[in-house]
Amino acid sequence: MKIEAKAVEAVLSGSQILRGVDLEIGDRELVGVIGPNGSGKSTLLKCIYRVLKPAAGAVYLDGRALDRYPYKESARCIAVVAQHNYYNFDFSVRDVVLMGRAPHKRALERDNAEDYSIVAESLETVGMSAFADRSFSTLSGGEQQRVILARALAQRTACLILDEPTNHLDIKYQLQLMDLVRGLDRTVVAAFHDLNIAAMYCDRLYAVKDGRVVGQGPPGRLLTPEFIREIYEVDAQIMTDTAGHVHILFYSGAGNAREG
Amino acid sequence: MKPDTIKRGLFHGTPLYVITVLVLLAVLPLSILTAVTFGTMRLPVEDVYQVIRFELGRVFLGQPIPAEWAPGTPLHDVVWLIRLPRLVLAAAVGVGLSISGVVMQAIVKNPLADPYILGISSGASLGATVAVMLGVGMTLGPHYVGIMAFAGAFCVSMAVIALANVGGRANSVKLLLAGSALAAVCGAFSSFIIYVAHDDHSTAKIVNWTMGSLAAANWENNAAILVVALAGTLFFLTQHRTLNLMLLGDESAITLGTDLHRWRVAYLIVSSLMVGFAVYNAGVIGFVGLVVPHGARMLFGTDHKKLIPISALAGAVFLVWADVLCRTILPGNEMPVGILTSILGAPVFIYLMARKKYGFGGGD
Repeated sequence: MKIEAKAVEAVLSGSQILRGVDLEIGDRELVGVIGPNGSGKSTLLKCIYRVLKPAAGAVYLDGRALDRYPYKESARCIAVVAQHNYYNFDFSVRDVVLMGRAPHKRALERDNAEDYSIVAESLETVGMSAFADRSFSTLSGGEQQRVILARALAQRTACLILDEPTNHLDIKYQLQLMDLVRGLDRTVVAAFHDLNIAAMYCDRLYAVKDGRVVGQGPPGRLLTPEFIREIYEVDAQIMTDTAGHVHILFYSGAGNAREG
Repeated sequence: MKPDTIKRGLFHGTPLYVITVLVLLAVLPLSILTAVTFGTMRLPVEDVYQVIRFELGRVFLGQPIPAEWAPGTPLHDVVWLIRLPRLVLAAAVGVGLSISGVVMQAIVKNPLADPYILGISSGASLGATVAVMLGVGMTLGPHYVGIMAFAGAFCVSMAVIALANVGGRANSVKLLLAGSALAAVCGAFSSFIIYVAHDDHSTAKIVNWTMGSLAAANWENNAAILVVALAGTLFFLTQHRTLNLMLLGDESAITLGTDLHRWRVAYLIVSSLMVGFAVYNAGVIGFVGLVVPHGARMLFGTDHKKLIPISALAGAVFLVWADVLCRTILPGNEMPVGILTSILGAPVFIYLMARKKYGFGGGD
């Protein structure tokens, strides 16, 4: 499924966050959105997953404007792992993942064996099967994050949107989650703070600053020391390992003298 | 279902809550049939059941009633016109208050919400007072008092939500403050009307009302409240997914395909209708909508698929026995049931407030 944003502008409590963003994500592409804090990454993603209505411009799914989709239908196309999921309910982990089946259900339809097997499979995929009967609120931040990913997987959508998916995870689970996401073979849009993770997994990156796209392209081409300095105001060095992966080394303090 | 789970006996693999629902379904009629033998007048147990047996035969099979059990005999009238309608009303009010408690807790995302605490019962009671004392809404037909009670309940529930959202998102503190402020306003207006009207008969009726009493039950009004309570419960049974999504909040709900806004208004209308009818028939009975869902949630978690049937049945059973207690606790006299539920419910409320973390998202 293809996602396009055309000249999207967004206003949050009076201040303009997005100033005309164009985005094009191809079928089964894994695209990262990078940019400093407050650049509008999350806002852009929120416009794509319909929590925010763009003040101008529009988002298109396979060429059809998003606001022409009923909410149920767009929820069958796009699943989301948002940034804050600190629910504090006595829902069991299974109940939470089962909610991912909601967009596929009519009002009076019961949850059937297929739903439960999809739930079990999704939990298996994120490695949380053993937690199915636990209360969601007793889990750690990282565990909750994986359960929410399982819920998104249970939605069985063609697109997945992740807002800083690796935030609460230690490095093992960061890599595990990104391996999993890449293995899904779906259209994925994800916001990242960690440029190394973004560079390692994404087919393409969009860089956002002050509500505008300031650059896009494959990580190896986009991420240069000059570009990183321009958007993050830090000094960095780019290394390419034997496998062709890009690694970024950062230097503390922009004022420090840098050798080489 | 996997074949090996079927092999392991009748109840194995059946969720515990299904068994609980079945048990409660059996307990409710048994409770009513037991409760009907209690009362200020001592009646032989067999005679009580004879009356019920003959009346049921008359209503459902058209059989004639022998003269010694017929309407007009004290025995018949006490059992069939006083005790039984009152217990059926207790069950219906229990269902209505518990379910509207569950629904309001989901709407405001807070386990402390309850028709009484949010001032909605006071709104209903003001609506009814205005109707009874001033004759407002008489043009609405024979059930105008009930309709006015519903209108009062609905206005207050909208006002509480609007007030709590002033200057930022609603949280528990603002909701409770808005609720108690509006309860005070409605209470003051009710008192004012009663004071000015100087009509002793109506005043006694209204005072009884504000304490909550099931004594005025009759079959005619029971039919209306039973329909509302059952229809409301059935409606919310079909809404368990949306109710669950309400607890996740608007943003998550949209990504899961549901726009909560219009549902919230619809649910408020239906639950106000349930509260309005409960208040019209039985006055202000507090804390039922708080205590019953809380107990159900402790045992079965927050999933509304389980919470709604269990709360409805437990609420009915709870109020039937609360009424029995009220009729037997004072020798030769009876206590308004609202006093009892407040005595039992207020400590639960305080406990909930004092507990720092209640597994429901009411952390703030």
